[in-house]
Amino acid sequence: MKKWFKKNKWMAYLMPSFLFPLSITIYGLIMAIKESMTDNTGFSLQAYRALFYDHAFWASYLYSVRISTISTVLSLIIGILITRLLYQKLLKTEWKLLVWVPMIFPHFVWGYMVVLLLSQTGFISSIFNHFEWIQDFSQFPILLYEPFGIGIIVTYVWKEIPFVVLMLLPVYAQMNQQMPLVVKTLGGNEWNVFKTTEWPWVAPVLFETGIIIFAFILSAYEVPALLGTTYPKMLSVLSYEWFFYADFRYRPKAFALMVVVTMTIMTFVLIFFHMVNQKRYRMMKGNGR
Amino acid sequence: MVKKFVLVLLSILILIPVLLLIVQSLSKRWNYGHLLPKEWSLRAWDVLLSEQRLTEAIGWSYLIGILVIILNIFIGVLAGKALAHENFKGKSMIETMLILPIIIPSLAVAMGVHFTMIRWGIADHWLGVVVVHLIPTVPYSIKMFRNAFDQIGLKQEEQANSLGASKLYIFYSIYFPQLIQTIRAVVFLIFVISLSQYALTAIIGGGNVLTLAMIYFPYFSTVDDAVMSSFSLLFATLPVILFLLCEFVLRLMNPYKRKFR
Amino acid sequence: MKKLLSILLLFSLFLSACQSNQGENIDPFELSWDEIVEKTNGTTVRMFMWSGDEGINRYMDEWISPKLKEKYNITFERIPMDTQDILQKLLTEKKAGKKEGTIDIVWINGENFKNAKENELLFGPFTEKLPHFNEFVDTRSLNIQYDFGTKTDGYEAPWGKVQFVFLYNEDKVPNPPRSFEELKEWMMDNPGKFTYPEPNDFTGNAFLRHLLYESVGGVQALLDRGFDENFVNKNAQSMWDYLNEIKPHLWREGKTYPSSLTELDRLYSKEEVWMTMGYNEARAESLIKEGTFPENTKSFILDSGSIGNTHFLSIPNNSPNKVGAMVAINFLLSPDAQLAKLKPNYWGENSVLDPDRLTEEMKEKFKQVDRGQSVIPAEILKENMMPEVNSEYVNWLKEKWHEEVVQEK
Repeated sequence: MKKWFKKNKWMAYLMPSFLFPLSITIYGLIMAIKESMTDNTGFSLQAYRALFYDHAFWASYLYSVRISTISTVLSLIIGILITRLLYQKLLKTEWKLLVWVPMIFPHFVWGYMVVLLLSQTGFISSIFNHFEWIQDFSQFPILLYEPFGIGIIVTYVWKEIPFVVLMLLPVYAQMNQQMPLVVKTLGGNEWNVFKTTEWPWVAPVLFETGIIIFAFILSAYEVPALLGTTYPKMLSVLSYEWFFYADFRYRPKAFALMVVVTMTIMTFVLIFFHMVNQKRYRMMKGNGR
Repeated sequence: MVKKFVLVLLSILILIPVLLLIVQSLSKRWNYGHLLPKEWSLRAWDVLLSEQRLTEAIGWSYLIGILVIILNIFIGVLAGKALAHENFKGKSMIETMLILPIIIPSLAVAMGVHFTMIRWGIADHWLGVVVVHLIPTVPYSIKMFRNAFDQIGLKQEEQANSLGASKLYIFYSIYFPQLIQTIRAVVFLIFVISLSQYALTAIIGGGNVLTLAMIYFPYFSTVDDAVMSSFSLLFATLPVILFLLCEFVLRLMNPYKRKFR
Repeated sequence: MKKLLSILLLFSLFLSACQSNQGENIDPFELSWDEIVEKTNGTTVRMFMWSGDEGINRYMDEWISPKLKEKYNITFERIPMDTQDILQKLLTEKKAGKKEGTIDIVWINGENFKNAKENELLFGPFTEKLPHFNEFVDTRSLNIQYDFGTKTDGYEAPWGKVQFVFLYNEDKVPNPPRSFEELKEWMMDNPGKFTYPEPNDFTGNAFLRHLLYESVGGVQALLDRGFDENFVNKNAQSMWDYLNEIKPHLWREGKTYPSSLTELDRLYSKEEVWMTMGYNEARAESLIKEGTFPENTKSFILDSGSIGNTHFLSIPNNSPNKVGAMVAINFLLSPDAQLAKLKPNYWGENSVLDPDRLTEEMKEKFKQVDRGQSVIPAEILKENMMPEVNSEYVNWLKEKWHEEVVQEK
């Protein structure tokens, strides 16, 4: 037994994480899957059928994926630009705290702040009106409660950029300072520097962070509930409404939706990890000063 | 030059909403088209401070938060190291599973989690709340420590091993100082996540545990802007205080920065 | 691996055996009221309720809680939780076989009550045991016997009464409309200044119910039939027509609606729209005082009537202190407590007691409460009151609205 543990050391290290959070989550997921396939009459896939035939579902699906993708991509790009540009400054505590400020407020507080700022009768519109750049609030552009989800995207981007910076900072902190010089002496420009010295390290972290953000936005409820439209709704809002519908008649459908979303993301994640892990391990072995 | 500009821009973008919250929490009547509120009032702070169980709630939030952080560091370091430094079959599968809690909507697993807590006898108990808070936090800490161990590499440990150092000493002298950055980030992030847990905490805590989130979230379904702002500000100071505390402790523990032996 | 699993299994079994299951099995029905009160001495009663209103919270914490301690030596705790989460908790606890929960009193009504009753989550019937219930409440009234079409059967005790009103900004709306037709004309003259919450929201749904009553020719038709889907499908056309006609004159041209009353209130407070609505005829008072609503907010009701609603208190089946809950609920039904509740400095909500059963002195005290400038006088409200109908209509409206109004281009 002891020999087995020694050989499979990783098992011992991973045990605690399995014991609690993971086993409970998996059990919860299994129960959710079971609920999605149970009806008054026992086992039934009726919920899935109802789901896939529902126009509202497909409209929501497109709406949600679009908003999540745009938010994620924007957060990643801006996040990495900021990190690249400012990491020396950011590694010093004071500036780092600044970037982390958005993170001390929960997501929906940020959503609320976006409402305060960007609604047609909000603070920015108020300033415009005060300085007589607009005569009436209806002249202020419509940024919230509209089908592009601008308000939602702004909220998430504002909150997730610090998170991206948080995840990328350690990568840049450990980065070999000599490499860019080497590339430059060999005639490379800024883009070459990035591509050859930074990208191999940054890519896995960037993609992982991107997946986390994407999955989070897709399944989070409060912000789109606050800032979204009547139709289409984001998937999370839809599943919430179905879940808490008066007599629970739409519960299986709600579970079905959540299961479908989970499974889709899981597949992507699995493929990604598989592709990336070998390379990462090799790079890790070559690391260290 | 560009750096300075971007920093200033960022500062503005980040601080303006906070400033707005502060002003909002002190305003009574703020009409459209005015730069500042017409009528000011301390009512929102009065409501906040006269909440009888405020100290209790802050206490619970810190207690639970700190426990969750400690467990996270423990789990995260072990799992992160294993994922970074070992290679084994089924690693991608395990990684996918470990990230599951963030991918699954919490609504989906809420019933199952509650059920499990009841069966394990820790429902309506702070232990249950701590365990439940582990679910959305552990994937993050594992990820962050894994990245850190990736960067550090194995070479230093191998050298120390060949020189005959014990596992514990290796951890303390080699890994720990290099992990401080990550530990800081983990403390911060995990605490914020734990603080903002609401629905599941309320259900699993069952009234035996009263966190700040439970008192404060219901106000978000009202239009009482002033109270929402004052609560948001109070809420935000909690992680800041903890962070400062954590800095202090880390300074004490860092083997290379100690000014006294 | 197998060894691991067996350890895990033992671990979980061990923990599950640790469930504490104390709690005397007192059967309240066998005791007299005095004995019940005696048993509650020194116990704790926990009420789980929505805690998003400062006024209500203070009423519970500053008035009710100390009095319960003083009179009965009961420690009364208010725990913030939304009704739907409470129900969820009770359901899961039932499923998992948890015999003793932590919730003693639940604030509940309508579909939530129906749900809870059907799933056997509630304890009862207990209302007959409560002296104040028998003494001061008009137990024969339909409002007390039925909650949205479900028989209360003593499983819930009434706590307060509210009536639906429209609120308007007197500065912008000097002459509020008196009927739905006039409302429509007003909207055409003032485009973009009115909207209503989605029917998923309780208030938004109530707005639609008012229209529904008109459309089918009066609430009696719906009351007589229980839930009759055919009838309502055939007779609701004028309602859908109305909603579609006003669409282009609504806020955002009806392309989107506030997802909840809170969102509508927010638009109203910023004067983006000039009217809002809601249950509790006195809701504007505290909001005006806070500075949230415009100072000259007043309320109006339409000639076609205003729906009145009662809300209730229940005791879950797995409450650890049922007798304590009963004593507390009884106290909440006392004239003194209901009077304090009516006063605008706390909640401002109407009493659920039958005025004819109060002492003359009490009656006077109730009459003398000044509910505020924005509140319509009680007689007018009473005259125009309409009852709620079967809760199935609430669901029907939710679904049909999407088809008929949202997806109509």
